[in-house]
Amino acid sequence: MKLLESLYNLDNINDAADGYIIGIEDLSINFKNYPLSELKEISLLCQKNNKELFVSLNKNMHNQDLAYLKEALLLIDTLDIKGVLYYDVAVVNLHNTLKLKTPLVWAQEHFTTNYQTMDFWYQYGAKYSFVSAELTLDEVLTINSKTKANLIVPIFGYLPMFASKRNLVKNYLKTFKIKDDSTLNYMEKEGKIYPVIDNKDGVVVYSSHILNGLREMLILKEAGVSYVYLNTFLIDDMREIIKLYQDANKTNALSFEKCIDEMLEGNTDKGFLYKETVYKVK
Amino acid sequence: MVVHELLAPAGDLERLKIAILYGADAVYIGGPSLGLRANASNFTLEEIKEGVMFAHKYHKKVHVTVNIALHNKEIDGLLDYLKALEKCEVDAIIVSDPTIMQLALKNTNLDVHVSTQASTLNIEAVNFFEKLGVKRIVLGRETSYEEIKSIIDNTNVEIECFIHGAMCAGYSGRCVLSNFLTARDANRGGCSQICRWDFNLLDQKQNKLVGDKDFTFCIKDLSMLKYIPKMIDMGISSFKIEGRMRSIYYIATVVSIYRQVIDKYLSDKNNYRYDLELEKILTNCANRDSIPQFFDGNYDESVQYYNGRVEVSNQDFLGLVLDYQDGIVTLEQRNYFKPNDQVEIFGPNMQTISLTISEIYDEEGHLLDAARHPRQIIKFKLREKVEPLSMMRIKR
Repeated sequence: MKLLESLYNLDNINDAADGYIIGIEDLSINFKNYPLSELKEISLLCQKNNKELFVSLNKNMHNQDLAYLKEALLLIDTLDIKGVLYYDVAVVNLHNTLKLKTPLVWAQEHFTTNYQTMDFWYQYGAKYSFVSAELTLDEVLTINSKTKANLIVPIFGYLPMFASKRNLVKNYLKTFKIKDDSTLNYMEKEGKIYPVIDNKDGVVVYSSHILNGLREMLILKEAGVSYVYLNTFLIDDMREIIKLYQDANKTNALSFEKCIDEMLEGNTDKGFLYKETVYKVK
Repeated sequence: MVVHELLAPAGDLERLKIAILYGADAVYIGGPSLGLRANASNFTLEEIKEGVMFAHKYHKKVHVTVNIALHNKEIDGLLDYLKALEKCEVDAIIVSDPTIMQLALKNTNLDVHVSTQASTLNIEAVNFFEKLGVKRIVLGRETSYEEIKSIIDNTNVEIECFIHGAMCAGYSGRCVLSNFLTARDANRGGCSQICRWDFNLLDQKQNKLVGDKDFTFCIKDLSMLKYIPKMIDMGISSFKIEGRMRSIYYIATVVSIYRQVIDKYLSDKNNYRYDLELEKILTNCANRDSIPQFFDGNYDESVQYYNGRVEVSNQDFLGLVLDYQDGIVTLEQRNYFKPNDQVEIFGPNMQTISLTISEIYDEEGHLLDAARHPRQIIKFKLREKVEPLSMMRIKR
């Protein structure tokens, strides 16, 4: 099993992660975005440090994005990129039309919930699937045992839970003439605080708690899952945390997990790993 | 030639019949499983069969939503379910998961429509689904006039767009606020509408940003009444009304108004005039501010609602006509009314009748000073004949 993390700081390329996921400006959300012009350099840097690099093009695409998307896909295909994360089916269509060789990663966030659909996308070039964070551990294990795709399972960090094209925060500030230059805001409800980003791509909102599935990572590892993903967004001590995840074993897992929980001031949980969401209210 | 279908929601058989009778060309409904309104009164297979028979009798269509985010446990029974829908002679299924699309296309005669949950916003995505063999795509609600037009001009699949109703604050399918805040799965029919909750908004240092109202994601409704001629001319195949959980009055009103506008424009494009009276009725019925949303490319602060606004429950719907015999209307009361009130009766295949309520009686023939009780049977005289399932509303 390999550990992937989001790369918010290029200086971290020598940390304990096995690889990184980055976004490309204007084509990606929920990852640290870099200009397309810097991609080659970042790719070479990863290569030099023996790290894998995945690139996210996971925005909802409009017609006006397609030319730039095509340019990005063509460039990616010339570089040492392990996979391209997509949300919009436009990426798949272009990938197939252009006969590109870089594998795709089915990353439709909340829809990557079953093995059959992973196999569907596999035949269109998605050799990897980025698993929904709303699944239970059991569901992930079942998927892993049945799909042809290599899984990337989110196991640590704030989880994305909302994306809108609208500038919902900026609209509010404008309506009520509130001055605020924050690049990051928070929404608070009943003591829970949710990070919010409002920028030119619209609004994204993250979970109030940080998923900390270190012990579950070991279970996934034993089941043969290919990758886990650690989201470093808003996490200060990531070098140390990724080291703990990398060094974890059955003996130290509980203490490592507790250590991480303390570093994060207790703001961690297990997400949906043991909590099935209700489908129909009885 | 493009047929411009008016597509209405129906939460149950009663609403399906109302939608058809009031002018819908097709209805979309939820089946016993795999739809996105898990907590609505969805149709059983028997009811679907009955609904399809009713619709087909009027040469109308029935589409069934199968647009859930599919989990492992649903895979095994999937084909049986699709076959059962086919056996009910359902016309199309509305799907977001390609596994379901492929299964239906390979094994059934059902038409496949790509759900708005798939957030299809561009021609490349449309091309992908077209190659897969789908008949229709419901575009994402974030598309503008120019984008829709460009897509229609470059594809052979039918394009369906929403024209009326509530909007998601986020990209469809990309919101799981409900999962996190209430443990109800938004993409599996459990959406608890967190976008309408109020929150405190904090700055980067987590200080509260204080506005006159609390922060919320709440979005105004969609209404495309003014734009119907433009939407017809650009070649949109189907006009979709949102709201499978809405009342019969809402469905009857919205469907009949859009029916009138579509028919008026198609019958005489050169002399078509926008009818403000229809807009007024629609506004009163929906009871929420409504705007064209992304269609005109404007999605600034004017698209949002903030808490503190007054939402008065709609009491326009006075009663449902059950019968008409010998000049006497029998009506089931839905809201308070009394003699001398100015009202209208509207219904399928009839001109709207305006009248002043005269004497009203209960079921036993007792004279009443007002119709006070929900579902109370009321009788009154009326010269003009009205059909069962017509509705009486306040005249504003």
